[in-house]
Amino acid sequence: MIDLKDILTLQTGPDFYWLLVLLALPFFSFLFSGFFGKRSPWISTVIIGLNLILSVYLTLIHINEGYQIFRGEWFSIGDYQFTYSLIIDELMLLMSIVVNFISLLVHIFSLEYMRQDERIITYFRYLGLFTFSMMGIVLFYDLLIIFIFWELVGLSSYLLIGFWYKKRSASIAANKAFILNRIGDVGFITGIMILFTQFGSLDLEAVKSMMMLSEIEGDQWVVSFLNAGEEIYHNLDGRWLSAAGIALFCGAVGKSAQFPLQVWLPDAMEGPTPVSALIHAATMVAAGVYLLARVFVILDAQALEVVAIVGAITAFMAAIAALSQFDIKKVLAYSTVSQLGYMVMAMGVGAYSASIFHLFTHAFFKAGLFLSAGIIIHQLHQLENKDIKFDAQDMRVMGGLRKYMPKTFFVFLFCSLALIGLPGFSGFLSKDEILLNLSVWTDYKGGGFYIPEVLAFATVVFTAFYTLRMILLVFFGEFRLPNILPEGGLKLRPKDGNLLLMLPVVLLAMLSTSLWLGITIDGATTWLAELIETPIYLVPERYAAKSLVDVPAAVFHDMHGLVMTVSLLLALAGLLMAYFAFKPGAKMQKRFVERREPSGPLAQISFYHWYQDALYNKFILPFLLLISSSLAWFDEQVLDRLIVGFTKAQVVLAHVIRRLDINVIDGLVHFSSNSIGRMGMLTKSMQSGKVQSFIVLSFVFVLLILLLLIF
Amino acid sequence: MPINFLLFLGVILFCCGLYIVVARKNVIMVLIGIELMLNAANLNLITFSAFDSGELQGQVFTLFIITVAAAEAAVGLALVVKVYQYFKSSDLSDISDLKG
Repeated sequence: MIDLKDILTLQTGPDFYWLLVLLALPFFSFLFSGFFGKRSPWISTVIIGLNLILSVYLTLIHINEGYQIFRGEWFSIGDYQFTYSLIIDELMLLMSIVVNFISLLVHIFSLEYMRQDERIITYFRYLGLFTFSMMGIVLFYDLLIIFIFWELVGLSSYLLIGFWYKKRSASIAANKAFILNRIGDVGFITGIMILFTQFGSLDLEAVKSMMMLSEIEGDQWVVSFLNAGEEIYHNLDGRWLSAAGIALFCGAVGKSAQFPLQVWLPDAMEGPTPVSALIHAATMVAAGVYLLARVFVILDAQALEVVAIVGAITAFMAAIAALSQFDIKKVLAYSTVSQLGYMVMAMGVGAYSASIFHLFTHAFFKAGLFLSAGIIIHQLHQLENKDIKFDAQDMRVMGGLRKYMPKTFFVFLFCSLALIGLPGFSGFLSKDEILLNLSVWTDYKGGGFYIPEVLAFATVVFTAFYTLRMILLVFFGEFRLPNILPEGGLKLRPKDGNLLLMLPVVLLAMLSTSLWLGITIDGATTWLAELIETPIYLVPERYAAKSLVDVPAAVFHDMHGLVMTVSLLLALAGLLMAYFAFKPGAKMQKRFVERREPSGPLAQISFYHWYQDALYNKFILPFLLLISSSLAWFDEQVLDRLIVGFTKAQVVLAHVIRRLDINVIDGLVHFSSNSIGRMGMLTKSMQSGKVQSFIVLSFVFVLLILLLLIF
Repeated sequence: MPINFLLFLGVILFCCGLYIVVARKNVIMVLIGIELMLNAANLNLITFSAFDSGELQGQVFTLFIITVAAAEAAVGLALVVKVYQYFKSSDLSDISDLKG
């Protein structure tokens, strides 16, 4: 039998301190970069740059080395030892590079984008806080500590969404994001509690070992182990095993914006655009997928099915919603939700490697899209003055920007092609990989599990459609803003951004091509996908899903051509539809500018994102408000009265005690002091100061002594 | 002459002295009263010596006492002079610095 203490051995090493530095640098940026005045933003940027260099250095040393865990004591309750542990493995190394790299690019971009903001220093400090908390999630290998940093990430996201808090919509969006994330976190912590109940530890290594040792006996989930020599036997109903996985997935649902909590992400676009690129496209929303990857091996078949189906639904719903948005950032936000749906679905079907692969490629091309959208918004804002005001994010004011901003156009195009998934771009490789795995999964699952596949392939069409629609509306046709504004109101024209704005997007556009991954059309053979191997499930065999690792490579190989052809044809179909609908001069493109909202029920469903917000407002919100108002009533009528009554009783008691105090205790004190005073007066009166009375007294006393001696 | 008479003389003398010490206000008079009380004591010594046949210790002792008393009177008067200089009064009722 294995002892928990033997798993949780304390380990340290020189790299442990490097990991701490990796964590401490962004925290330093958060704490101290505010003290440098005008240079603060630059100092924050340099710090994040150093962090990137450090993570690249660690990667170069440790890549292909397996994994290494550092562990130390944190605290203990009774027999339960709580440790903290940090991990170095491929996933952590690559993730830390992505986080630091995107964070650095966003820092550089923000130097220009936020230059005129008066709270720019605070902004950069928040970015530091975000990078710190994200690194915490990535580095730590203990569910409890991951949860702590998970909350910190939620906090920094909240702060950055509500950065322009004077805008009412921004502060509401921040609250919405925070609250919906909390709902997911309730699930997360439930999962943590289930695992702790069963295994007595939250260290992921211990959890995984215990999961491997646990067995299903009858319908009971049983584990027995030693804790410091003491034998421990835990059993729970087998359904708790699935429940733990689904509960942990709830955390990812909140953070990675999955159905049904995904409504916060589109609203989160109220934050500054670089923040959307960093947090709401590339890194924070990927934290949910990262968490799923960390707990991947302890998810059982049922939990994985839930994950796959939720992912597919999310991908499809969001892709539909992206079709008809006017706001360029909303399109990108829904597209992000849709792509996150792909990643989560891939985790659900067991395509761990493909999911992480898509996470990385998506991080680059979506950050690139957001940042280039940021350039457009920024440059359009430059046209505003006190007479001219317009919504710089609305695609109805754009159009024809290709002529004015050619470089931005190319960058945007590259990233978009990666998003559509055309060969030659990174998105193609990873999406193809996900769809291939999904098809294999559907084949052996059979039954109703073709639904995720249908949804996922449909999403390919819609992705191509909304992406091309966005490009056509923003960059082609004529510049619509001058037509909207009064005649001759607009003299300037937008132009490309300066170096600080262009450098990050050009880098990201280059990373959107598939060249850096190798010249291939099979995502699984790229070095990145090969670095991240899909682990095998550790849950007891009866509950475990069939691992895709066990499927012969030939099956994948046979399926690959078909999947690729179908997905490319679907993407082409989407592109063609979008082209004919929105090419300059087409009917829909002309009508587009005049309309306030799309007409027709289908378009409305898309525009209002399946009325999910309205549904929540109509059905769930009144229910919640009822609960809160009844709690408020209880608070006012019962608790407050109890407290008031208690207080009154205390006042009465206090008065009684006051009487007692004055009459009895004070009386005693006064009596003793008075009597001593009187005695003092008495003895004092003998000292009359008259010499003769002294003599008489002493004579009398001598006589008395004589009398005493004689008798 | 019985010894009682002489002892009564001493007592009377002592009481007179005591009375003067207690009753008179003037410092000089108090000093005189003290001398009277001293001499009453001397008288006692002489009386006992006279009735103690052949022994002269009491009388000799008295002579010593008279000598010392002379010195003591000098010291007393010196104190009185100092007290008078300080309080500008020889009235004992004015000298009440020891009042508690």
